[in-house]
Amino acid sequence: MSRFVIVTAAVLGLALGAAGSAQAADAKEVFDFYCAQCHGVKGDGKGVNVTKDFATDPRNFTNKEDMAKRTDEDIKTVIRDGGPAISKSPLMPPWASTLTAAEVDGLLAYIRKMGK
Amino acid sequence: MRLLAVTVSLGAALLVTMTAPSYAAGGDAIFKKSCTSCHYTDGPAKEKTIADQLAKKGPELFYAGSKFQKDWLTAWLQAPKPIRPMKYNSLTDKNAGDHPKLSAGDAANVSEFLMGLTSKEVKAGVIQAKSNVQGKNIFGKKAPCSGCHEYSDKGVLRGGKSGPSLAGASKRLNPDWIYAYMTNIKAFKPVRDMPDFASVLNPKDLENVAAYVATFE
Repeated sequence: MSRFVIVTAAVLGLALGAAGSAQAADAKEVFDFYCAQCHGVKGDGKGVNVTKDFATDPRNFTNKEDMAKRTDEDIKTVIRDGGPAISKSPLMPPWASTLTAAEVDGLLAYIRKMGK
Repeated sequence: MRLLAVTVSLGAALLVTMTAPSYAAGGDAIFKKSCTSCHYTDGPAKEKTIADQLAKKGPELFYAGSKFQKDWLTAWLQAPKPIRPMKYNSLTDKNAGDHPKLSAGDAANVSEFLMGLTSKEVKAGVIQAKSNVQGKNIFGKKAPCSGCHEYSDKGVLRGGKSGPSLAGASKRLNPDWIYAYMTNIKAFKPVRDMPDFASVLNPKDLENVAAYVATFE
């Protein structure tokens, strides 16, 4: 009986682990495609678009202190509606009509991990 | 009678042989032979996922005739210079500028073929290239296209690198296509890293910014 429980738990654990990594991969794919050009693949705010002409510093998601000041709702709002929605730069564009709610949630979780 | 049949058969074979080269030199045939490993021309757009878009080596061309100006296209195919600062679908590798060159004759034929690929989404005669303050403000500040697109500021290239350059847009792009693309971007590219600005800019704003971009040298 106990052996059955262990095996079941192991299988369940593997399944959950696989689901978790699939979700993480999706968020990374979304981040790399839509966000990395300005925020950088590492999330450090050093994307390829950030030249001397770029009028603001894209958020550095690896900065723990700075990210601690941002609420989850602020981050989701700025992703959906763009910088001006939280009094930030319009260089952050609105993605509401491009991304699903689940993709925005996935991005939030992915971004949060960068600061840890 | 048998001689006649053989003669007719030979004549037919000769005719086929003689007509084959002119078919092979047609723009569609040249395109199929040389260009389809990177570009597709049979719309509508095929991409449904990010992976679909990333698998492409070059842009879709099923609306090329609505997007480009023919003189520019014919000249570019003979002496292609990078339009995108970065390699297609890359944020790390620069555009190597290694697009194949065509001879003048092949370029004219391929250009003829591509210019026949039009989109009903692009209405003709809607946008005239015109510098305007509203469009300039949108491009540089309000919904800054310049964040991702390069442009020429009195000969100096400024702006972002991830999107295609808009320097020289006045010679390359059809102003009506610029407007149609911004108005209904999903019809052209359902999966792309450019936001849908029709959701935040009103039709007049879109007209103004399209007219402004269409003036770019």
